[in-house]
Amino acid sequence: MKQPPLITPSQIVVPAAERHTASNGTSIYAINCPEYEVVRISFVFHAGTITQCHPFAASATANMLAEGTELYSSQQIAEKLDYYGSYFDINIDRDYAYITFCCLSKFFTQTAEVIEQVILHPTFPESEVETYKAKRKQQLSIERRKVETLARENFARAMFGDSHPYGISYSEERYDTLSSEILRNHYSRCYTAERCMVVCSGTISEEVLSRTRQIAEQLSSSPLLDTITIPTFDTTHDVRINHSGAVQSSIRMGRMLFPRTHEDFIPMQVLATLLGGYFGSRLMQNLREQNGFTYGVFSAMVNFQQAGYLAIATQVGKEITERALGEIAHEIDQLRTTLVEQEELELVKNIMAGEMMRILDGPFGIADVTTENILCGFDNSHIQHNLERIRQTTPDEILSLAQRYLNPADLVTVVVGDFE
Amino acid sequence: MITYDKTTLSNGLTVIANRDKASRMAAVNLLYKVGARNENPSRTGLAHLFEHLMFRGTHQVPDFDTPVQMACGENNAFTNNDYTDFYITLPCDNIETALWLESDRMTGLNLSEEACQIEKRVVIEEFRQRYLNQPYGDLNMLLRSMVYKKHPYRWATIGIAPEHIEQATIEEIRGFYARFYHPSNAILSVSGDFSSEKIFSLAEKWFGEITDKAQAIDAIPQEPAQIEARRLEVERDVPATTIVIAFHMGNRLSHDFFLGDMTSDLLAGGDSARLYERLIKRNRLFASVNAYISGDVDCGMFVFTGQLLPTTTEAEAEAAFWEEIDKLKSGEISDYELEKVKNKFEANTLFGELNVMNKAMNLGYYEMIGDLGLINREVDIYRSLAREEVADFSQHIFRTENSSTLIYRAKQ
Repeated sequence: MKQPPLITPSQIVVPAAERHTASNGTSIYAINCPEYEVVRISFVFHAGTITQCHPFAASATANMLAEGTELYSSQQIAEKLDYYGSYFDINIDRDYAYITFCCLSKFFTQTAEVIEQVILHPTFPESEVETYKAKRKQQLSIERRKVETLARENFARAMFGDSHPYGISYSEERYDTLSSEILRNHYSRCYTAERCMVVCSGTISEEVLSRTRQIAEQLSSSPLLDTITIPTFDTTHDVRINHSGAVQSSIRMGRMLFPRTHEDFIPMQVLATLLGGYFGSRLMQNLREQNGFTYGVFSAMVNFQQAGYLAIATQVGKEITERALGEIAHEIDQLRTTLVEQEELELVKNIMAGEMMRILDGPFGIADVTTENILCGFDNSHIQHNLERIRQTTPDEILSLAQRYLNPADLVTVVVGDFE
Repeated sequence: MITYDKTTLSNGLTVIANRDKASRMAAVNLLYKVGARNENPSRTGLAHLFEHLMFRGTHQVPDFDTPVQMACGENNAFTNNDYTDFYITLPCDNIETALWLESDRMTGLNLSEEACQIEKRVVIEEFRQRYLNQPYGDLNMLLRSMVYKKHPYRWATIGIAPEHIEQATIEEIRGFYARFYHPSNAILSVSGDFSSEKIFSLAEKWFGEITDKAQAIDAIPQEPAQIEARRLEVERDVPATTIVIAFHMGNRLSHDFFLGDMTSDLLAGGDSARLYERLIKRNRLFASVNAYISGDVDCGMFVFTGQLLPTTTEAEAEAAFWEEIDKLKSGEISDYELEKVKNKFEANTLFGELNVMNKAMNLGYYEMIGDLGLINREVDIYRSLAREEVADFSQHIFRTENSSTLIYRAKQ
């Protein structure tokens, strides 16, 4: 039968986040979606790994907030959350730590009691720290048997430099040096009102809002905000790491660019999607569909607070590693020399619009997008702006961006595999 | 609570509709009742290879993905031992694009020699990436082949070996399509802001004219009862030893299934559960530990697994699992603990109903197992389970002669 007509969404309507300010200055953003009987509250602290003074201190602090507080042991906290079917989730990146709690609306009161303890009164008991260290150390050593982990870590180092806060990684033995005191110091320095914002979504009743505000208001204030100056990058362009016995090689290729706030960020996102951001992308067509070199290949813009880069990642059979590298270089060269067809660009734009709509389907996704916008200094009207910016991108613009930003001499290539 | 209506088209296609008024997205799920358990033992991995081939285009639509993406949609699929599932989410306005594409590839798939060759290579790379090039990658394969001797659950979805995929012929692949991919072997489930009548008439419009070509499907050899303990010890280049103990248990519709599910929650459902609390935090025997049910349609597995800390001996680790088992057998379970796992089950059910994709997928799944109404009854069933039943379940399942123990030892 005939293909049905297509309708392209030209607008994405997102509820605005209502901003409230606690007496200590902490901002609380509320996105009310009352059709869902759930509550989600995220505390975002500027407490990512670049803020740490000791290896693994930032991730250990975030991950151990619920492992013992003034009133409750880690077991009691786990019990209390599990009993009501509530849960929390901890995420940490180079810049921020995100602590997110979810519960059914009917169990908010009981859950808030735990949130208050976890956010405001963690104690980092020595015995829990020991368990955590042993567990993480073992996990990391397993992770590092994988070529993709080694490639990811070496790529960050190659891009930023061995000792740069965005590039550094530590040997798993450094876990042994962590202590309760180090975590307590990191907590009191970074988990403060000035470094925090809160985003609530789901059914935001008066009670939810006032209780959240009451918790946020108890965050201590540290007038001296140590601003982090990001050192200059020390980039290495070609890195090969031998990993004996690997049947596949892991490849990372990319280029240092700019953070999300840069005017070319969105069009570069379009370019990255075109190149390797979806199933039928140029790299997927070439490496997977035509050559069968790989199970998957991806490219994307990666965004930090004070930097950003384009990255391509894949894992290929070891015997065809060089051919795969050649094909990636060929696809980059195509972008620099040939105008993209209007039809292909339209497809990419629709994919990106669809992706935005999918992420924004449901209260939790809306909260995630809101958080990201706020951290970049935008509000939710920026979503519509982004959609329009995507729609405006032309084949000429893609060509000139590729020529400006994807010069082969500027690319960084990291390969981890068996070269013997 | 998920509301739904169900109908069957004259060609045998089952259609299920759920209305979601809050979402501007629609989810279209098409489940085929074929999985690795339907494979010939000398051609394993074919169901999964076939899932890949479903994206290779048809005579009418040479490229499956492009029209989905032009409609701002996203699609994917997965295969397991029991079934193969294809799903598309896209803006409501474009729902017919999804139905058009799914109906088109139910009949007109382009199974050329060339397409099959390329897809075989992709799947073999997947085999290498996920099973051969990963620490512990072959653990589940070893476990399956020890636990099952007759039932096709003895191999993983990816297959027994890359050679099986390599050697599959074009005739075998075409035969597989004819046998399993037709209306009466499929379930269409849709969630979005549409009335059931609208969904049913759209299903009739797009699928009604497909002729059904049902063939007799071979009965699946069932696993005989295990009568003595099994044990396998292997050594691999991994950083930590892992111990797995697996037991046979009932099928998806048996009462044992719910008891098994609840028992695994008591042991490993969250950070306050028994194994984490006792074996990781209190006794520091393991770096990670888990208990789960495999959740298959036919009689499945109840599995204990744990990764040892370097200071723990294998004997201590094994004994620790059996000690936990003994506590369950003696009915050492408090009311509080039972209430907790029941609350958690209810909350997780609700969290799982927040988007159209999960709903469409779940509706297809429950219909496939043969009891669609169970989707809304499970919380109540769970609520009704008693401590004595868990003890009883533990006594008749966790027996040495029903156990298979795998020691996956780290090379020194």
